[in-house]
Amino acid sequence: MDLLSFINFFLLPGIVQGAIYALGAIGVTLIYAIMRYGHFAHGDLATFGAFIALAVTTALGLSPYAALPVAVVFTGIFAICIDRLFYAHLRTFPKIITTIASFGVALMLRSFVQVVWGVNTTSYVHGITRPENWLGIRIKSHEIITLVVAVALVVILHQFLTRNKWGKAMRAMSDNPDLALLSGVDNGKVIALTWIIAGGLCAASGFFLGINTELKSVMGWNILLPTFAAAILGGVGRIEGAIVGGLIVGIAEELSVLIIPGEYKVMSAFAILLLVLLVRPTGLFRGKVL
Amino acid sequence: MTALLSIRDLRAGYGDADILFDVSMVVASREIVVIVGPNGAGKSTAMKSIFGLLDIHAGSIAVGGTDITGWAPNQIVKAGVCYVPQVQNIFSEMTVHENFEMGAFLRKGDYSAALDRVYQLFPDLKAKRKAVAGSLSGGQRQMVAMGRALMLDPQLLLLDEPTAGLSPKYMEQIFQISRNVRDTGVAILLVEQHAKQALAFADRGYVLAAGRNRHEGTAPALLADRNIAEMFLGG
Repeated sequence: MDLLSFINFFLLPGIVQGAIYALGAIGVTLIYAIMRYGHFAHGDLATFGAFIALAVTTALGLSPYAALPVAVVFTGIFAICIDRLFYAHLRTFPKIITTIASFGVALMLRSFVQVVWGVNTTSYVHGITRPENWLGIRIKSHEIITLVVAVALVVILHQFLTRNKWGKAMRAMSDNPDLALLSGVDNGKVIALTWIIAGGLCAASGFFLGINTELKSVMGWNILLPTFAAAILGGVGRIEGAIVGGLIVGIAEELSVLIIPGEYKVMSAFAILLLVLLVRPTGLFRGKVL
Repeated sequence: MTALLSIRDLRAGYGDADILFDVSMVVASREIVVIVGPNGAGKSTAMKSIFGLLDIHAGSIAVGGTDITGWAPNQIVKAGVCYVPQVQNIFSEMTVHENFEMGAFLRKGDYSAALDRVYQLFPDLKAKRKAVAGSLSGGQRQMVAMGRALMLDPQLLLLDEPTAGLSPKYMEQIFQISRNVRDTGVAILLVEQHAKQALAFADRGYVLAAGRNRHEGTAPALLADRNIAEMFLGG
């Protein structure tokens, strides 16, 4: 196989898929850093966000990209509501209870999507997009947009966490919660902020999954395992880890097709997850152990 | 003597169990007071109960004439009392500078004066302001912890075993810095295992044993007392 076809058929699709995983994994890692539990409704929240974008697109006749910001903001606020409704009163209980509750929320979200939008596969735009050809590298416009927006979101998040007072408060709460409380940080505000960021990124990951493949009610559930594998591979609680983890899982999935049948792609995420847990449970960037 | 902090007949502990029994203490403004005593005497417990981290069952705590008994830590901070815990007292994944910024979290408006003062007190940290706090030495981490607490311009600084695990060199340095901090107008109440060395630099001391006041007096008087030396200061 020559280099160009390696890039076109394996590396580029892997990076695009990896960026989608990374957007979800950042949310998973942030939620764990602040609240210390795995949020298993994350995949279905991504589905929800993707379908909100679809609803905005069809109702207003907008381009799907114009619907993306609406879906991001709406899903972020929706995530705060889920937290208030289902998780807030469980905060003082052992974290495993909230983890199980998040499974329940996942089922509710999926059922909601199935009741409102049905179980059939659909898509934002119909027809086939032709890839652009740059010196033999073939990339589709929606792939470029996926990467550009993912990078932009990560840069904005990084700026927020390192420059903004409340961004720093989030890092402080993740680092040393007792000292953050002693310093006067309002736990409730940090939690709400975490949900709006994680929910917004989650909607973006669902949207880009939909625009690069198709929309269906189990789309988010199907990427839950690779998303968690990405977060754990990078090191739970580490945003840079979630990004690197996402890309590695995405690329590994595409490359695995060389060895195993395509339908078993997701197995490679599972294999990575197992390997990390056995060999280096803190992940590449020395995160927390789930 | 005008009391900045006054504790009267304090009974406190975790849940229903008492650890402190009728403990009374005062700290005047610009005074360094040390609490010494054997392990399990309730020294750190006394410190934590001042800062609202324990259940108070009887007695009262007042700061500058205001009763703060039963207040939450973030309210006590606003009353001018800052607390440096013995362990996990820094944000170890954040930079030195960000630790200080978090110390000023409750402040509104410009806090560059407080920041300048902290860097003046800890000149070593100025060069390390962009270093991740967890990468520093034990002594420097203790300085970060003190600096973080000083960012709110407290009237009273509570230090829980600031020299635990430090080398003698750093211990001396922390004591010297504490004196400098006092000279900027901050009273200090600290708990110390190194009783002799601490009494050598403090103004007054309290000896706690089994959760009760046993002795109190000026630091030189406590050091000079043969009985106290034999019982509590290791001869």
